[in-house]
Amino acid sequence: MKHVRKGISLSLILILAVVAMLAGCSTSDTSGKADGKWAGKKIKVQMIGDFKDKTATDPITGKKVKGIDVLKEEFEKQHPGATVDFILMPWEGYTEKTQAMITSNEADVYQMPGLADFAPQGVLEPLQPYIDKDKEMDLDKFIDSQVDGWKVLGKDDDKLQIYGLPFLGDARFIAYDKKLFDDWGVEYLSDHPTMKEVAEKAKQMTGKNPKTGKQNYGIWFRGDWSSAFTLIDLAEGQNGKWGEGFAWKDVKFNFNSPEMKKGLDWLLDMKNYAPKGLVSNQGQEKWLTKDNNVAIMMNQGPGDTIKPTYAQGLEDRIGIAQEFKNKDGKGGLFAGSPLAIAKSSKNKDLAWEWIKFATDEFAQKYVFEEVGAIPAIKAAKTWKSTKKMPLMQPVFEAMSSPWTPRYPWGSSQPRFTLTSEVEAALTGKRTAEQALEKAQRESTAWVKNRK
Amino acid sequence: MANNSIELNVQMEVEKVRNKRKDWGLKWYVFLIPSFLGILLFMVYPIFESLRLSFYQSNGTVEHFIGLANFKSVLSSNSFWNAVWNTFFIGIFQIIITIPLGFIFASIINSTKRGQNFFKVLYFLPNVTSIVAAAMIFAFVLHPEMGIVNYVLHAIGLPAPGWLSDPSTSKWAVIILAVWHWIGFVIIICLANLQAIPSEMYEAAKIDGASGLQQWFFITIPNMAGTFAFLLITGWIGALQRFNEVYVLGGPNGSPARSIQTMGAFIYERGFTGFEFGIASAATYIMFILILVFTFINLKVSKMKI
Repeated sequence: MKHVRKGISLSLILILAVVAMLAGCSTSDTSGKADGKWAGKKIKVQMIGDFKDKTATDPITGKKVKGIDVLKEEFEKQHPGATVDFILMPWEGYTEKTQAMITSNEADVYQMPGLADFAPQGVLEPLQPYIDKDKEMDLDKFIDSQVDGWKVLGKDDDKLQIYGLPFLGDARFIAYDKKLFDDWGVEYLSDHPTMKEVAEKAKQMTGKNPKTGKQNYGIWFRGDWSSAFTLIDLAEGQNGKWGEGFAWKDVKFNFNSPEMKKGLDWLLDMKNYAPKGLVSNQGQEKWLTKDNNVAIMMNQGPGDTIKPTYAQGLEDRIGIAQEFKNKDGKGGLFAGSPLAIAKSSKNKDLAWEWIKFATDEFAQKYVFEEVGAIPAIKAAKTWKSTKKMPLMQPVFEAMSSPWTPRYPWGSSQPRFTLTSEVEAALTGKRTAEQALEKAQRESTAWVKNRK
Repeated sequence: MANNSIELNVQMEVEKVRNKRKDWGLKWYVFLIPSFLGILLFMVYPIFESLRLSFYQSNGTVEHFIGLANFKSVLSSNSFWNAVWNTFFIGIFQIIITIPLGFIFASIINSTKRGQNFFKVLYFLPNVTSIVAAAMIFAFVLHPEMGIVNYVLHAIGLPAPGWLSDPSTSKWAVIILAVWHWIGFVIIICLANLQAIPSEMYEAAKIDGASGLQQWFFITIPNMAGTFAFLLITGWIGALQRFNEVYVLGGPNGSPARSIQTMGAFIYERGFTGFEFGIASAATYIMFILILVFTFINLKVSKMKI
């Protein structure tokens, strides 16, 4: 009898353990509310960045900002019966996390800066059919170049297609400190400066500041992580380009072109007017503080510039000029975050509704006014909130003129090869010519293996 | 008769206890199931999945079999061998600096009469600090213009290097951080061993007229052999897996100019920033073999029994 009891208790323990484990592995309920046009429909949306669940204090501005529940409430009001849930994640490691999520069919809609890497996996839904059949979606509402920038190749595509629509905007521009320009008696940068203009002004503002007596540097650019993009923009400013093609089988690099060589020589020259630590992302620590000692900052983005500038009360001091553009007015890295629908989504129609909602004024205003991210639609240019921040206007201009489509190698091995070779040139390990030849050789060999 | 009955009862009781133990012995395995399944899911499965992936060209979802091409590609890649060189360079110097230095510090702490616990805590603090946070602080400490190290070097008239912005000094920046972080652990382990050496040995040596230094050389050091072997092996394994601090200081491509890219960072760069999971898996297996070979050599060199 005792043995039987022991056997039962053993079985019970086993069953409990298995149940506990299965509960951990189980998927959650996919059905939504019972009433309304969208009754029973439910989607999960993955969002990356500074989004918060509930109202919270912004660490930069110190102001209370509304949580993402505002979007949930409005979306569910507009779509009776539907339920939307969010999976929020920080920027750190978002690629790996997105890959893991998409492999396990975790969400219906993804905020996906790495669209060009995920679309070829065949895990995303092409959006053109939805755009074609939905009269409410007008692609003209997006800032120019934003839709084109996100066109990528899917698994079986031979032409660039829309797999994602712009949600968060981004851009690259040149920022500068007007106070240092005034101290040195140098004219502010023009709206579309040339390499020559930037170089001349940087040289004039390096040394002991005539007003404060403190050491000033004419220029700073990141010599490591994003240096490849800074260099490519320099080539674009001379009507050069990184190469051509989008699918790996068609890609041909042009890293050793005369424009690239001239661009790298320009960076090597500018290094003499910059703080010592630029190759290790150092030397710009005082930027956007009252003690700033760098006059011109290359390859800056709105996320790190706009909100901190206004939060620090430096709006009268900071100026924005466009990056170097080619004869067609195009140049600089295309960046941002589009929204994409997972192929595995069970509620694709509702997912599409979310994309429409998230790219409309209500959500885009929330993105800018509460989260401090950059909207991607033209209407944003005339909002009261953006007009109160005049620095946003050159940002919108920069968003409308980057190089499109996004560099297909932007997060692949050629980017790291080129970055490492720019670093090698900047640290004197190789000449500009040797560095670019090596980058060209290694990137070409790499892409050959991908074909 | 009474004796027989008592004997029988005792035998029955013994049998009962035995059976009970046998039953409970089995039951304990139930409690091992969750952790066993965890190991199976999160360690054993990924190990085999990674091996499978190493024979495929894979972007995470779409994959096709390419045999040994990934291994060929990794083994013929200059970046990989550069990463191997960086890993070994940083690892070797971390070990040959930290173990002797930690042992000397431990000996000094062991010989102090007061404040032993204070020094133990003081030296062990870096080891309990997150390496990620420590690396971020070290980037400031070694800042070429605003860092305290260069300030001191400049004050005493020595040249101030670029540290992390110069490929010729960046590896040393990582070594300094690694030594600082690991030395507390080495000191604690050495102290534990030092305190376990019988005091009679020292007393006998003193009677024979051995000096303090002679006692250290001929009693202390030989008695520390097992600890040195342990530190050597764990230090090597940790050094060959180095990733966190170099990722914080130089990103996945080990800036500047790949000078601090370790094998771990190479795998991360190819796998998670380049979506080349096959290449990353092949590199992981090559790293595994390297660690295996060097652990074996370490065991032989240190004559450690396992």
